[in-house]
Amino acid sequence: MSGSIHVGLAAMGAGIGVGLTGLGAASAVGRNPGAATPILVQAILAIAFTEAIVFYALYLLPH
Amino acid sequence: MQYRFSFPLSLSILAVLCGCALASSTLAAEPARAEAKEQHEAAVPLKPAELVHIGKFAITNSMLVTWVVAAGIIVFAQLAMRKIKLVPSGAQNFWEWMVESLYNFLESIIGRELVQKTFWFFATIFIFILFVNWFGLIPGVGTIGWGHHDPTTGVFHVDQPLLRGGNADLNMTSAMALIFFLLWIIWAIQANGVGGFLLHIFGPKGETSGLLKIMMIVIFFMVGWLEIVSILFRPISLSFRLFGNVYAGESILEAMSTMVPALSWLIPIPFYFMEVLVGIVQALVFMLLTAVFTLLIAQHEPGHEPQH
Repeated sequence: MSGSIHVGLAAMGAGIGVGLTGLGAASAVGRNPGAATPILVQAILAIAFTEAIVFYALYLLPH
Repeated sequence: MQYRFSFPLSLSILAVLCGCALASSTLAAEPARAEAKEQHEAAVPLKPAELVHIGKFAITNSMLVTWVVAAGIIVFAQLAMRKIKLVPSGAQNFWEWMVESLYNFLESIIGRELVQKTFWFFATIFIFILFVNWFGLIPGVGTIGWGHHDPTTGVFHVDQPLLRGGNADLNMTSAMALIFFLLWIIWAIQANGVGGFLLHIFGPKGETSGLLKIMMIVIFFMVGWLEIVSILFRPISLSFRLFGNVYAGESILEAMSTMVPALSWLIPIPFYFMEVLVGIVQALVFMLLTAVFTLLIAQHEPGHEPQH
């Protein structure tokens, strides 16, 4: 078995981060359903930045 | 009414997208041969199979799918809009519903002026990705093709499927992401000018004065370089997000249908439903992310938005 542990760790952190973003967005929409569209935009942006960490781990470090 | 003009434009971008998939797939075609033998045992090969060579260009099975889907969308749209009625019904109703709901949804996110300018791209990207994703789920895509009989088990293995999900090919997704990146630069410079564009990235934000302002200028100049790295990673993450989701979905379906041979008709069914969902969610995410990236650079004063 072989692989890169840093990518796994980054993926784990990004997964937790995306989950937390989804949690925050879902509870925010639950509290204020009228603000669903601005919340969606914020959540999508936050998820995109969180996910990008995996790609940094994949490409910025030497294998 | 005001966006009827977007149809020929949308169709032309489809043609451009397919051409780019053709141009970029030759770049990745060379190492494919060396690794083809190693990946023989893998469930779904990472790279598309080459069907025909025309000169230096290779026609791959995923390119074939993008062409078939693009031609299908064009023919369907043209047939539906052949006799336009005031009160739509049937296929015309479907397209008007789709275009209109997309337009209203995008307008609520990126605002009235920007949606008039950029709607053709976002709607095309959504409709195209959605139908390419769903086309890849039709039984027969990825399972009909050329192969060989395994002498030990007697099972037939398909080595070169005739069709492969279009977005399960990194060339296709990166072609779309790079086209968006180019358009993003054009739209950003059109909205801000070259100086405004640079100021948007490197300029200080917020109300400060005196010594603090000088420090803020230095800090935001440094932040601008981080911003540049993050902007340059956008096409990479856009293309890998779509490719990864679709490819992983194909691998799951393949694995589930070969796990228990006696139940291969039953086990993949829940995963098919999940892939239908993933197909629409990923199309939505690609469209929304590109739209929000455009909104971020094109909006002039943060906090003074007329929309929302």
